[in-house]
Amino acid sequence: MKRLALVILASCSGDIAPPWQLAHERIIAVRATPPHIPAGATSTLDVLVGHVGSGLEVVIPGPADTTVVSPTGLTSNLVGATFTAPGETQLDQIRGDLGLGPSDPVPIEVEVVADTFEALKTIYVGDSSDNPTLDGLLVNGVPPPTDTNALITVPANVDVPLFVDADDDVDNVNWLTSCGTMNDFDIHDAFLHVNPSDPQTGQLAVVLRDESAGVVWQFWSVVAQ
Amino acid sequence: MRLARCAAALRARFVVVLVIVVAGRIASAQPAGSDAAGSDVAPEPIVTTGRVIDKLGKPIRGAIVTVEGSDVTTKTDRTGRFVIKAPLDGELTVEKSGFELQLAIVTGRALDDILLLGSEDLQETIEVHGEPPVPTAGAAELDRQDLQRVPGTGGDVVRTLTVMPGVVNLQLPIGYSGVVIRGSSPQDSQILVDDFEIPVLFHNIAFRAILPAESIQTLDYIPGGFDVAYGRASSGIVALTTREGDDKRSEQAEVSVIDGGLLAQGKVGNDTNYMVGFRRSTIDLILPYVIPPSVDLSLTTVPSYYDGQFRIDHRLNAHWNLTLSDVGTIDTFELYTSKDTTANTQRYYDRTAFDRLTAAAHYHDGPWTASLALSAILPQFKFDLGAFQHIDVVQPAITPRAEITRTGDSFSGLTNIELRAGAEAQIQRSDVDIAFPQMMVEGEGMQGFNPKDTSTLFKGNFWQPDLAQWTSFAANIDPRIRFQAGLRIDEFTRNHDTAVQPRGKLEISITPTVTARLIAGAYRRPPEYQSESLYPNLQAERSTQAIAGVEYKPIDGARLQLSTYYTDRSDLITYDAHGVLGNSGRGTTEGAELLGTYHVGPWFAWLAYSYSHSVRVDYPGAPERLFSYDQPHSLNAAASWQHGKWTLGGRFQLYSGLPYTPILGGILNSDTNTYTPINGVVNSARAPIHHELDLRVDYTAHYGPVALTYFLDVQNVYLDQSVVTYFYSYDYTQQAAFKSIPIIPSIGVRGVL
Repeated sequence: MKRLALVILASCSGDIAPPWQLAHERIIAVRATPPHIPAGATSTLDVLVGHVGSGLEVVIPGPADTTVVSPTGLTSNLVGATFTAPGETQLDQIRGDLGLGPSDPVPIEVEVVADTFEALKTIYVGDSSDNPTLDGLLVNGVPPPTDTNALITVPANVDVPLFVDADDDVDNVNWLTSCGTMNDFDIHDAFLHVNPSDPQTGQLAVVLRDESAGVVWQFWSVVAQ
Repeated sequence: MRLARCAAALRARFVVVLVIVVAGRIASAQPAGSDAAGSDVAPEPIVTTGRVIDKLGKPIRGAIVTVEGSDVTTKTDRTGRFVIKAPLDGELTVEKSGFELQLAIVTGRALDDILLLGSEDLQETIEVHGEPPVPTAGAAELDRQDLQRVPGTGGDVVRTLTVMPGVVNLQLPIGYSGVVIRGSSPQDSQILVDDFEIPVLFHNIAFRAILPAESIQTLDYIPGGFDVAYGRASSGIVALTTREGDDKRSEQAEVSVIDGGLLAQGKVGNDTNYMVGFRRSTIDLILPYVIPPSVDLSLTTVPSYYDGQFRIDHRLNAHWNLTLSDVGTIDTFELYTSKDTTANTQRYYDRTAFDRLTAAAHYHDGPWTASLALSAILPQFKFDLGAFQHIDVVQPAITPRAEITRTGDSFSGLTNIELRAGAEAQIQRSDVDIAFPQMMVEGEGMQGFNPKDTSTLFKGNFWQPDLAQWTSFAANIDPRIRFQAGLRIDEFTRNHDTAVQPRGKLEISITPTVTARLIAGAYRRPPEYQSESLYPNLQAERSTQAIAGVEYKPIDGARLQLSTYYTDRSDLITYDAHGVLGNSGRGTTEGAELLGTYHVGPWFAWLAYSYSHSVRVDYPGAPERLFSYDQPHSLNAAASWQHGKWTLGGRFQLYSGLPYTPILGGILNSDTNTYTPINGVVNSARAPIHHELDLRVDYTAHYGPVALTYFLDVQNVYLDQSVVTYFYSYDYTQQAAFKSIPIIPSIGVRGVL
């Protein structure tokens, strides 16, 4: 709290990109599809990457871009974007090494590199679950198009409500944009405000993470008028 | 193994004390001989010593002792003692501002205690004692008006500490105590009010002290080498004493853009004095109007504070005085970093409150002085950060304390003997409900912020009964040489840790204007900072201090003192190579301090310079690094001038920036959506040097019985926006400067009826 008070009463300088800014070089999210797989099944990785000029890009990592961090004995199970789960026998052995119960899913930590950035992603082996879905999506009160990078027009210089059906105490929601200023970017009902001084075109994205390492994202091109 | 190390360390400390005592005896040989020769000639003046005390038996320092009918004069030191050459059966006058003049007859080499009774002038007197080299001598003094004249402090007593040599300067207070002394850490120093510790010294907003200047009688700043009566700290002590109500009834009020307060004092009957004060923040009334509506904030509880104090003194009879005092504060703050006040993940809440009540009885009769006290404190800290992390701690404690002192004129060739013994028990219960990330230790690089990280999880209660006892013996080997040897033993029962702390001091008056001092001792800080109390395996941190100083008083009102110190620190609480919290750290601090004060006529001037170098090793084999509060250079120069109704003052500060750990980048954890920073070498970079000029103007006008003082206190008048430290973007790829506010004006008015 001392730090918070300090932030309020002193001043900051320098251009620091806010966490909702899409026009910033970084890895935004890594997705494993599916995030939980049974023994012997496969999961595929893809990466959402932000760029300053060219906007969002979904990258399928190559063989040089991924590594199993732990357990190190499964290094050969990951080839590029594809992870193949070990069989039941090997899985039980790993459970024993990690002190897990006989039916516990085994976390496989994977490192992913995109450009010069690194990210960690966990794939769970031993049970099954899918990535979440974006339910109840609303942009300015209406459902947005489902096509990736489809064009959305939003009114300028007013608060544009954004909504996705999620529980903020459980899920992690991020609304991101390179057009305008995002408010309450990390809760399910945010709003976008495009001031006259802001870029009038760009992209809008939403990323939702659930508690089971599931990830879903959607992004659009956006124009303020 | 640990026992062997402990024994070796103790032996080393006893050797240090022994060296001091032996050195004192060697140094005393020549003057003692001269003195003996002098005493054979009856008509010649003799060297006589005495002590000046107040009605509570407390020593009075700074009292001027003059041989009647001559210009031979001296001042009492912090223990109230003085040494002067005077003819046998001659008369001494003793005077001190705020007290009635007293006379004494020179009956021999050692005089009875001289009692000074307070006068009405006392109500507007406050003293700040600064003692860079020695805790019990060589103090700097500021009276109350001077204190409020120091520019850049906003009339705030605790912020005045920043002008003391040895205090680490930053544009903002550091830690909960707000004070870092001699390059250590905030938790290494202790803040006392009426001899008992308080948990916080300043309010969360505006960083004002929790006690207004008007309710404080004295402030003792002891940067090191403190007395055996003080413990549980490994660096320094800041001891505040609440103000005794004056015999003359008065009320006063002050209001500024930051806060407003009332204070009343007076006398009830013949033997009871009272003081009561109350203060409330006003900045919370202004804040909602200065935060732009476009900012994503909802101040559901606007940051505000209240503090209150009272003190009642009752003179029971000629020997006993009773005191009941209380200090308390409440700070509350709640906001949502969102316009949506139902978004729990965006919520921040902080409530810091405590109340300390102390009852004390003081006895004084001839050579005997005793003090008995019982103090109770009820602190509460509640902090919610988002939906998952919280700290809720209630720590009631009760502390009985007793100390007895016997003085004597002479014994076995020694004079001015003082034998003292004391004991206390601090019995504390902690009710803790914590769900928070792992505790960060000194110098640890930045950790990634995960709002769901609750790796420190505890809900329950525990008792911490700590015991302490101490004793000391002080005497003059010669009228010019005085030593003190003491021992303090702390028993930290929860940690099964017994801390034996020998301490010694030697003071030599080389000439009437030059005094040299040597101090050495051992000190301990128990593991009770942040969540350290949750780890019963931790031991107290240790420090061994050695200090040498010289004080020069060329004329009355002017003083120059130079001190050097070396502190060895061990058992520092930190994470070892395997990430296990323990006492594996070691470190050293060395430095030098210069303090010059000049208080003559309308002028008041203050010059303080500190050099310090603090390094540590976190575990065997780890590289040596700087302490996080290592500040090599710090300069404070202040002056004020009073003329008629006007008082003008200025202060210039120049000090080094603090070290920090650069961050080289960050790794995204895609599942938690958090970034883990890649820290560079710990404290391998340093913020730039800071300098600023502060100015203050006071104007006092009288309207009938009311005196109103208008003041304008402006910090950083030439708008130097220096870097406090650096911060990083959420993904640690961008760095920006965290700068101080360019200009901070404080305007207000104070009225006294």
